[in-house]
Amino acid sequence: MPRVERPATPEACADALRACAEDRRSVRVRGGGTKDHLGTRRETDVMLETAGLDGIIDHVPADLTVTVRAGMSFAALRDALAKHGQFLPLDPPHVARGATVGGIIATNSNGFGRYRYGSVRDLLLGVRVALPDGTIARAGGRVVKNVAGYDLNKLFIGSFGTLGVVVEATFKILPVPPVAKAASATFTTPGDAFGAADALVRTSLRPTAIVVERTEDRRWRLAIAAAGEAAPVDRAMAELGRLAAARGASTEAIGDPEAALGPLREIVDAATGGAVVRAALPLSAQTAFAEAAVRVDRGARIVADAASGIAHVHLRDEAGVVAAADGLLAKARVLGGSARVERTAVAGLDPFGGPEPAGAFLMRRLKEAFDPNGILEPARSALG
Amino acid sequence: MTAAPPIVRAGLRGAALASGLRDLLGSEKVLWAREDLLLYEYDGAVDIATPDAVVLPNETADVAKLARFCAEHAVPLVPRGAGTGLSGGAIPVEGGVVISFARMSRILELDVANLRAVVQPGLVNLHLSTAAAPHGLYFVPDPSSQKACTLGGNVAENSGGPHTLAYGVTTNHVTGLELVLSDGSIVRLGGKALEYDGYDLVGTFVGSEGTLGIITEITVKLTPLPEDKRTLMAAFPTMDDASNTVSAIIGAGIVPSAMEMMDQLSTQAVEASVGAGYPLDAGGILLVEVDGVRDGLDDLLERIEVICRAAHAQELRVATTALERDKLWAGRKGAFAAMGRLASDYYVQDGVIPRTKLPQVLRHVIDVGERYGLRIANVFHAGDGNLHPLIMFDGSKGPAEVERVKEAGREILEMCIQVGGSITGEHGVGMEKTCYMPLQYSPVDMAVMHRVKDAFDPLGLANPGKIFPTPGRCKEFSLNAAR
Ligand SMILES: Cc1cc2nc3c(=O)[nH]c(=O)nc-3n(C[C@H](O)[C@H](O)[C@H](O)COP(=O)(O)OP(=O)(O)OC[C@H]3O[C@@H](n4cnc5c(N)ncnc54)[C@H](O)[C@@H]3O)c2cc1C
Repeated sequence: MPRVERPATPEACADALRACAEDRRSVRVRGGGTKDHLGTRRETDVMLETAGLDGIIDHVPADLTVTVRAGMSFAALRDALAKHGQFLPLDPPHVARGATVGGIIATNSNGFGRYRYGSVRDLLLGVRVALPDGTIARAGGRVVKNVAGYDLNKLFIGSFGTLGVVVEATFKILPVPPVAKAASATFTTPGDAFGAADALVRTSLRPTAIVVERTEDRRWRLAIAAAGEAAPVDRAMAELGRLAAARGASTEAIGDPEAALGPLREIVDAATGGAVVRAALPLSAQTAFAEAAVRVDRGARIVADAASGIAHVHLRDEAGVVAAADGLLAKARVLGGSARVERTAVAGLDPFGGPEPAGAFLMRRLKEAFDPNGILEPARSALG
Repeated sequence: MTAAPPIVRAGLRGAALASGLRDLLGSEKVLWAREDLLLYEYDGAVDIATPDAVVLPNETADVAKLARFCAEHAVPLVPRGAGTGLSGGAIPVEGGVVISFARMSRILELDVANLRAVVQPGLVNLHLSTAAAPHGLYFVPDPSSQKACTLGGNVAENSGGPHTLAYGVTTNHVTGLELVLSDGSIVRLGGKALEYDGYDLVGTFVGSEGTLGIITEITVKLTPLPEDKRTLMAAFPTMDDASNTVSAIIGAGIVPSAMEMMDQLSTQAVEASVGAGYPLDAGGILLVEVDGVRDGLDDLLERIEVICRAAHAQELRVATTALERDKLWAGRKGAFAAMGRLASDYYVQDGVIPRTKLPQVLRHVIDVGERYGLRIANVFHAGDGNLHPLIMFDGSKGPAEVERVKEAGREILEMCIQVGGSITGEHGVGMEKTCYMPLQYSPVDMAVMHRVKDAFDPLGLANPGKIFPTPGRCKEFSLNAAR
């Protein structure tokens, strides 16, 4: 069992990292523990938990920015901002299970709203990061624009804790929109569903979700949500109706947008068997990818953020899952995108086991510069 | 204009370098005559330095060849787009080769299906939106210099523009890059999808001001043109009123696509040169634009008008035709150039502050102007809290005057930092603000940034003398740096 460290301050976190680096003890960083499924199961010497780094440091409602400690749960932050009629416009998965702000940054965890509001990289203004050499570095700032020096925020987002531990973060936030509505339409082919989604992306309606789902009865359901002033929201709903009708489908209103989108967002948590492949694709490649998914596993469940080209495929046929996943990963790359295994219980599938990413030699130099002893997150590196 | 103190390191230089480059690339790609080099010794800021040679590559392979040669001979590489930069980023402060991308300015692919364009770095910003318009698309970042500045420069500076308030600055619109590193290696990063494996090196590179390597190809997002827009000019008796309006609009949950402010000095200069129709008696004016689907736009505009009136607006004018809208914007986009009517030279600051601090900081700017006896005009991206005080001066009075102007600029930036802001929101650090970096970042912060520099450019030949404070040039700041 790894030794658990739970620093209560950024300084203590940096000290703990330095001690680990000196003794060459490997470290896994854990926020809410909601992404334990990511990476190989290799055990580390130390489990560094960020739960002790909790709470809001600064929130100036009129500036629409908030600075928080990284171990704060997203749900707690959401509730605190809601009291001021504001929200951090990220809708990542695993929030109900306790996802933390730091974990969301480290794994670049986003939801369907990224098309409308941007992803972590578009909303994060600044971070403080504890590094294996025991120092704490600040990147970015607390204002909405800043180009002084390098944008190290980007380096830490999605780095899976392999370079340092995010201890503090500042985000742009927004007022909660007055109206939110959702509706869906179900099609018989993926081409129609993605085609209607694409038509919406080419308008200035800017819905807050455009999601294509392959249903249990193997049809293709397009769900959209819109938020803002009533008139543009109603227009978005009307537009879906028009696009559906043109493809011989009819629309259904969705009473509670969140209740409908929540289960789609949690496709990874719902997938207890088989494997989940997650792909980031050029927009026009989505239909081909969905068709490929069905070819490798006729029962595949698919949830695609069709506005951003992010598809999750749950391969449920355990017998052929390794070959199916490998085929799908390769397909994503051929289509000009990237993919990884997001979750699996099956041996032989490593989430980070794909071919080396472009620019791997640069990534390796960066890893070496930040973590020369290689103590951080050995099981979650895309660099092998 | 001031010549930078020469810090020229050892390595192949002068005529020997130029002849080596001619042998390597052919003389049609190299400029070395004194009168040709003079055109490359300045940019939009106040510092100058002369390159040893200028290279005009036709393709990535030329750049890679050049970089390998320069690595062998310890020659600095200074990429240059249109030279409109406002922080001296393209100035060869340590000598060496300036790489001009004037011949690499094509759109390689307009990928309408994927909402992407693949372009060469020398492409002029506006040309991309012009080419995309027939497909109902545009490239969002619109620096006021967009008729001249290049995509390479935009990516290197992470440029913003009046319309980046709601839809994001350059980094939010770049998904792929091809780079040549200072050792001559070619690297392709990212692509047309939103995410790729490993670290986000594309995001890390954007805004690195040529100090991590040379951009040879860029993949950007294209965005559907808004169905409709409304543009409002609101005139206020004071800058305080205009500032409070900015906070009130944002606070009401409205994120306009643009919200720009100008003080009286600026509107007077603009009126004299462009004639945009701004009222001359206003203490401050705001240009506010909202866009999107037609439905609800008029209601939104009305809500903004109500907020403006509550904040003492003396005049509200809505552009009713595209011509009127263009006229209002022509005034804003031509504002820097219009300053030529007020003074022979100007020095632009680019500090960022929390929006709620606008009244306080603008009063400080006025105070600085009075104390130094310098006229300062303010034309800026108010919605972002991104100030642009333009300090006017007469460069012919010599270097001492320039120093005084820089001193006034520094006082303004110190105030920006004091209220929790940044020394630069979009123009970059360049060579001009290197000594101000310690105002914003600790030595540890900067050392960590330098790890990134060393990973990309271990030879230190990619645009040296930029971003990081150099002990030789920033004496008084290295003393403060410990805090
Ligand atoms: C009137 C006026 C208005 C302006 N308005 C705005 C505005 O609204 N918003 C804004 O953000 N800026 C503005 N600017 C500043 C300037 O136009 C931008 O910074 C622009 O992006 C610079 O582009 P450029 O092609 O002129 O680059 P240059 O000035 O030639 O170079 C700028 C930097 O980019 C680097 N660079 C250029 N090409 C490459 C390449 N291929 N690879 C690597 N590095 C490269 C250079 O080394 C340098 O560090 C304005 C400038 C002027 C003069």
